[in-house]
Amino acid sequence: MTAVVSISNLLRRYWAVALIVVGWQIWVSAAGLSSIVLPGPLAVATDFAGDPLSYAGPAGLTFLVAIAGLLLGFLLGAGLAILSWSSRILNGLLTPLGLIFTSIPVVTLIPIIARLLGYDVRTVVAIVSLICFFPAFVYVGAGLRALPPGSDDLFRVFGGSQLQRFVRLVLPSAVPNLMLAFRLTAPEAVLAAVVAEFLMGTDGLGYLFRKAAGEFDTERALATSLIATITSVACFGLALAAERRVLRRWT
Amino acid sequence: MSDKPAIRIDRVSKTFRLGDGNELSALVDIDLTIAPGEFVALLGPSGCGKSTILRLVAALEGATAGRVTIEGKAPADLCQSHRLGVAFQDHALLPWLDIEANVALPFHLAGRSVDKAQVKDLISLVGLAGFEKARPKQLSGGMRQRASIARALVLEPEVLLLDEPFGALDAVTRRQMNVELQRIWSRHSITTLLVTHSVDEALFLADRVVVMSGRPGRIILDLPAPFARPRAPSVMRDPAFHDMVDRLTEALEPEGAHA
Amino acid sequence: MTSARSQSFVLGLIGVSLFLIAWEVIGTYRLAGLTWPPLSTVLAFLTTPAKLPLFGRAAAASFTSVAIGYLCGACGGLILALASHLIAPVRPGLDRLVAVIHAIPSIALAPLLIVLASADATPPIISGLGVGYIFYVAATSGLATASATHRDLFAVLGASRFSVTLRLDLPSALPAIASAMKLSVPIAFIGAIIGEWFGASRGLGLLIVSAMQNFQIPLLWSAVLITAVASLAMFALFSLTERLVQERMR
Ligand SMILES: Nc1ncnc2c1ncn2[C@@H]1O[C@H](COP(=O)(O)OP(=O)(O)O)[C@@H](O)[C@H]1O
Ligand SMILES: [Mg+2]
Repeated sequence: MTAVVSISNLLRRYWAVALIVVGWQIWVSAAGLSSIVLPGPLAVATDFAGDPLSYAGPAGLTFLVAIAGLLLGFLLGAGLAILSWSSRILNGLLTPLGLIFTSIPVVTLIPIIARLLGYDVRTVVAIVSLICFFPAFVYVGAGLRALPPGSDDLFRVFGGSQLQRFVRLVLPSAVPNLMLAFRLTAPEAVLAAVVAEFLMGTDGLGYLFRKAAGEFDTERALATSLIATITSVACFGLALAAERRVLRRWT
Repeated sequence: MSDKPAIRIDRVSKTFRLGDGNELSALVDIDLTIAPGEFVALLGPSGCGKSTILRLVAALEGATAGRVTIEGKAPADLCQSHRLGVAFQDHALLPWLDIEANVALPFHLAGRSVDKAQVKDLISLVGLAGFEKARPKQLSGGMRQRASIARALVLEPEVLLLDEPFGALDAVTRRQMNVELQRIWSRHSITTLLVTHSVDEALFLADRVVVMSGRPGRIILDLPAPFARPRAPSVMRDPAFHDMVDRLTEALEPEGAHA
Repeated sequence: MTSARSQSFVLGLIGVSLFLIAWEVIGTYRLAGLTWPPLSTVLAFLTTPAKLPLFGRAAAASFTSVAIGYLCGACGGLILALASHLIAPVRPGLDRLVAVIHAIPSIALAPLLIVLASADATPPIISGLGVGYIFYVAATSGLATASATHRDLFAVLGASRFSVTLRLDLPSALPAIASAMKLSVPIAFIGAIIGEWFGASRGLGLLIVSAMQNFQIPLLWSAVLITAVASLAMFALFSLTERLVQERMR
């Protein structure tokens, strides 16, 4: 009974994805495409199942690099947001720059950073943190100014000092926005890491993909993208869980 | 109790400058004296400037003309020495703190160590015992308002300011809260300024009821509420109470309406 | 009020100028090495008449991809959102499909698309997928923002499903859609550029990677600058549109 319910639930959510996967398989089989041109999902799954551990190392590395870049970017972005909150002049100077950098395709800066810092894992971390920096700066900056209604007056009447106001009111107010930015940026961090690895040829899923594609091992290339997708979704899932957890405590 | 006034509002006017460059005259020539330990209720139609008076006393706004003093000093001094308690219509509880921590917040802001017993006492005084660890969103509107009143009282302030603290509650809950507030107040007898637009509430709670007219706000009536304390809800059925309700209601009606 | 606004405008101008000056100074004194050219060098390179056809062709190719991707993505996202709004049972499935497609790294999509379509069709498709995602998410949530009271009113007045959608849900969704128009601009550019990194035969993206691999520093910076300025201009235009819509809908 419950099995039927959960299958129908699964179907309700994933019918469109399933349709595409099945359609792809049928098309590949019917057209008789060679697996170099385009392998079907079955062939990709078989390739992955044949040697799943060979993906673990690069996937782990990409994941770690993405997380490191994400945290670094958030630390810097949130730090600058706090600095700019504390000074009206700094805020005035930085706000339009923040806006400009959120409105341009920051990903196109990857080749510039790669040239500036050299082809290296640390460069990948720097690129990921650059991608994460701007959302963190913008969202945390907005959060620092979104205080609960009436709370500002309350702190003034109770005679709280500026420091108390900052620690007990302003910083906690920014937490929901911080978590929101975290959830939105986490999957992008993985994608940015993969793109950077691909362009520079440094270790990780991006490089694995590039090598496979270069050797016309299309099954392996697609299996790698599947792993990258799963890593990105996992990052999103973790960030979403963290956000829900924090919001439960925070609001 | 000395006869020096606790709160003195000395011929105060307040003009707001609006975003479009126009000016809005919210209060004109308000003169009001509140004695130590006195409970004054401020009645008036909405928009007449009641909250503005309260915010002037709380040092949240500055007067355009005239002067507000508390015990002869600027209201901001009282804030700085953490001797003012306040509850707004919007409870203004911090969502990330539980009820206990919200009530204890004024201790932190005053840089004092938290008097746990005092926090616990006040929480049970406002009828929230057992909800110490609950978050604001888990409580009903009435419970949140009670928590914000406990927070206003926790430092045993010398002056208590209440801006329509029960405005968002239904009539039954509101009456219950009035009874509880009067019970709490009679234990502490703090100088209190209550803003409300309920005539019953004002008469039931206050020593004196002050009525304001619509914009720009002026004081048009200042009546004592001569009912013996402690007051039971049955005082509202007293004919003298009814007479005063009628007088105040008439004063609140816009000019020309009772021609 | 107005003086505060003009003050923040002046501060912002100073901020941007400081940024440009820093760019110039770092380049001039080689503070970040040889791969950071001064702004003036990049601008001089960019405006060399001999380079104009090169940039012109690349930009034309990329901007065409952006325009096609943006339009198709926007329409596709809106149509899917309307479908999932009108036909409730398909909603969960479409939500998942859109989320899964969005989670696939574009570098992984590119080779698939090159096989399924062609190398030159890949940039607009990746661009369109990114744009479509933003529009789908914004429009589905926007279509659900009408208040319960308004819905009740329409029900009491006996409005059909179609006229509720047309006269209530769509207008309520306009602000969200206007935001999506703005927010998807950089996404459209990213999609086109990344698409070109996988073997397109022309475009700014191609220029950027080949300049990176061949150490053509001023060329690299110039191509990135063109992309950024184009995205910024389009973003500014749609910010204005968004502002107008929000004013109108208030
Ligand atoms: N910060 C402000 N800026 C401009 N006008 C204000 C401001 N605060 C209050 N007002 C105006 O002053 C008048 C009195 O407001 P208020 O004291 O809140 O009235 P009440 O509390 O009696 O309803 C209203 O017309 C209101 O619009
Ligand atoms: Mg008011």
